[in-house]
Amino acid sequence: MNSVQSLIQPQVLAQIGFAGVVALTLTGALIAVFPRNILYNVLGLIVCLTGVAGIFVYLGSPFIAMMELLIYVGAICISIIFAIMLSRPLHLSLPKRRLPKVGLSLGVGTAVFIMLSAIISRTEWQPAAIRSSDWSVTTLGTYLLTRYDLVFETISLVLLVAIIGAIIISGYARRSTS
Amino acid sequence: MTSSWFQDPTLLAAMLGALLPFVSFVLIMVFTRPYPKLSATISVAAVSVSLICALSLLGRHWHLEQPIQYTARWMVSGKLYVPFGFMLDQLSLLMLTIVAGISFLVQVYSLGYMAGDPGFARYYAFQSLFAWAMMTMSIAPTMLQFYIFWELVGLASYFLIGFYYEKFSASEAGKKAFVMTRLGDIAFFLGLLLVLLNFGNLNILDMNSVDVTARMSPAMITLSAILIFGGVAGKSAQFPLLTWLPDAMEGPTPVSALLHSATMVAAGVYMFARIFPFFSKSPTAMTLFLAIGTITMLLASTMAMVTRDIKQVWAFSTISQLGFMVMGLAAGSYFAGIFHLTTHAGFKALLFLCSGVFIHEYETNDFFEIGQHGGRGLKVPIVCITLAAAALSGLPPLSGFFSKEAIMGGLAELPNPIWLWAGLLGAFLTAYYSFRLIFAILFPKKIEEVHHGEHGGHGHGEDHHHAGLYWVMAWPLIILAAVTLVLGFFQAPLENFLVGHHGGAEGHGGGHHAWLLYVAVGLALSGVGLAWLEFGRKGASQVGFVERLEPVKTLFAERWYIDHFYRLFLDYVIYGIFSNLFTRNDRQVIDGGIDGLCRATVGGGRVLSFLQSGMLQYNLMVMFAVLALVALYFFF
Amino acid sequence: MNSLYTYLFLAALLFSLGIFGVFQRRSLIGMLIAIELMLTGASINFMAFNRFLAPDPIVGQIYTLFIMGIAAAEAAIALSIIVAVFRRLRSINIERAQELRG
Repeated sequence: MNSVQSLIQPQVLAQIGFAGVVALTLTGALIAVFPRNILYNVLGLIVCLTGVAGIFVYLGSPFIAMMELLIYVGAICISIIFAIMLSRPLHLSLPKRRLPKVGLSLGVGTAVFIMLSAIISRTEWQPAAIRSSDWSVTTLGTYLLTRYDLVFETISLVLLVAIIGAIIISGYARRSTS
Repeated sequence: MTSSWFQDPTLLAAMLGALLPFVSFVLIMVFTRPYPKLSATISVAAVSVSLICALSLLGRHWHLEQPIQYTARWMVSGKLYVPFGFMLDQLSLLMLTIVAGISFLVQVYSLGYMAGDPGFARYYAFQSLFAWAMMTMSIAPTMLQFYIFWELVGLASYFLIGFYYEKFSASEAGKKAFVMTRLGDIAFFLGLLLVLLNFGNLNILDMNSVDVTARMSPAMITLSAILIFGGVAGKSAQFPLLTWLPDAMEGPTPVSALLHSATMVAAGVYMFARIFPFFSKSPTAMTLFLAIGTITMLLASTMAMVTRDIKQVWAFSTISQLGFMVMGLAAGSYFAGIFHLTTHAGFKALLFLCSGVFIHEYETNDFFEIGQHGGRGLKVPIVCITLAAAALSGLPPLSGFFSKEAIMGGLAELPNPIWLWAGLLGAFLTAYYSFRLIFAILFPKKIEEVHHGEHGGHGHGEDHHHAGLYWVMAWPLIILAAVTLVLGFFQAPLENFLVGHHGGAEGHGGGHHAWLLYVAVGLALSGVGLAWLEFGRKGASQVGFVERLEPVKTLFAERWYIDHFYRLFLDYVIYGIFSNLFTRNDRQVIDGGIDGLCRATVGGGRVLSFLQSGMLQYNLMVMFAVLALVALYFFF
Repeated sequence: MNSLYTYLFLAALLFSLGIFGVFQRRSLIGMLIAIELMLTGASINFMAFNRFLAPDPIVGQIYTLFIMGIAAAEAAIALSIIVAVFRRLRSINIERAQELRG
């Protein structure tokens, strides 16, 4: 709370800003899911992820927010756009929706949401008794390279494998089709 | 144990005698099959050693008081103790000697008879196998071991009957013999199981002890005795399993002499004698056996009266004599049965071996043809065969006379005279058909003089060529003829040996039935006379009285339609009903069941595969719906 | 308003929208986008717990970073699969990818 106050002076402004960020996230998510044009979806995803980055700021981690913007918006969304460009000319007919499928998906999605909300509201969330207040990036970096270096290494390894795998899969597919 | 082998000459001799033929069988089969001469030498040497061992055992234990038993543990299952070993008593010693002796003579004879046969080594291998199985069976201490070697003997018999396996009828005959004896053996085995279950022991001495009656009910004894007798009926070709033996003559003639007259078929009778005290505890069963023996004897005699095949005549006569032995045993005269077995082994082997010489010489089985080709020209065989036929007919002073008289005496002891009359009728028929054959050879209707001369010359040439072979074949004949001549006079010592000092009873019986002696000899002589009238005298029609009656002749020649009955039974009952039923069960129930299972699996897979629509999203949807519902269920 | 529940509900909403998208979209890329939404929801959850409950506020951030890494890897793999599928089927319609249908 203190850090947020130190960032934005008036309480109200913070509230408005928060509401705006949440609205941005939800709008982006809706755009990412509903329109049939795939390009709109990617743009919606970008909007949504920007909003999420804002939420991370509100949650006290500007560094993670930056990372979110960098990795998601900067890397993933761009690669998705590349994939779109590789896959399907946009002027071709868009896939039609089938109402039963949409209805079913909506039903299951709602059920999952109800389940999650039920779990959220039913659980009594207890903050830990002793909480450290060290949020600095320095500590994060130290932790990443000391106590959580396994996580760090694993991410690196996973990414490496993923890159090699991606190359092999697309390359293999090309060889097998040609 | 190892040292005591050599210290105890009895055990050494028994082991040597019983095992050497097996060693020779293995040697021939594995190593020396390509060398016929060597194989025959090995086999004959092995069987000679066996004979020497058997003779020395017999001499050594001539005054045996207690049976000698050597057993080693073979296996133990629960309370069941199965030993393996040797038991030497009077009966087994006698049988051992008979088997070794006849085997030896037949193997020597076969040197000539089988000379040049492509399967010479194989023949001697099987002969050795047979000798091993038969001798080990003779001295088996338990019925289980007895049974095992009993089956091995059957196996050897199968091999030897089907020796000319390229010939369809020979392989068929081997199969028939094997299957028919198997029928009896199933009963035998069931009987043994009954004894084992109720008595708990298959030791022959124990089965023969008085103990059995205490532990088994009389009905159970009767049942198991009858079942075990099934084995006797199969092996000794008793009614109703008698038709395999004539067909078994497809084998080489020495085989017929050894297996199917003197030794193997006598194994059934031997088994009867072996557990004679056990059988005699059930009078019902004994009466049944008596009836079976009588029926067999008469049936086989009638069949022998019409056949023209020399070996068939002796085959039928073997069956009928075996029936005679069973009658003797079943009548309670233990010694008479065994004595007849012994003498019969001698003269029947002689008959077959003589026939073998004729068949070998003239290459025909029809004795009328043999006669026309000048069969009487072969001096040694014709003398021997006449001698043996006389013994078979029970003419004094040959061995058959004494043993037949002993059996007749036993039959006369029975309260019901019908058995005696049946026996006497059998003796008459036996004399008739034996001498029908002899006269047909001796006094053929027309000797084809030119042919004869030509053939004689040819034969003479062959004699020069095969002089050695002829005498190899002749010597066993002479030895057997001598045995046939003198064996009868050893009745008293043998009886002493076998049954101790009860010998007086038999002579006593004989004395009681002095008239019987004359009646029996008279009937035998009248049988010979009838044969003379019809076949022997000048201008005889050479047509038997039976052959004038067409239906009777057909009935006899068709062997009383027993085979036809079996054929019909097989066709209608086994193939028609059971096979059909089982085939249908197999096709429709078992196959159908499995097919149904397969079809149900495939169909189920087809039905369930509609769920695998390949629609990833629906699968996911179901997954999450279930997840949500489960979570909701657990939280509320 | 700025409480744990707000964030959790927001995360749940994003997650459910992601699920809905995964179920409903036919294009593989659309599904990929929806999956990114779900991952985002999860990382918001972590950040919220980190902010309000956790004893050590670094752990949640590290988890979020981890998720981002996973997301990047997943996107790379998924995109290459999509390209491969497109090459094979001349379409990225998930309903065409039915070769394993029973």
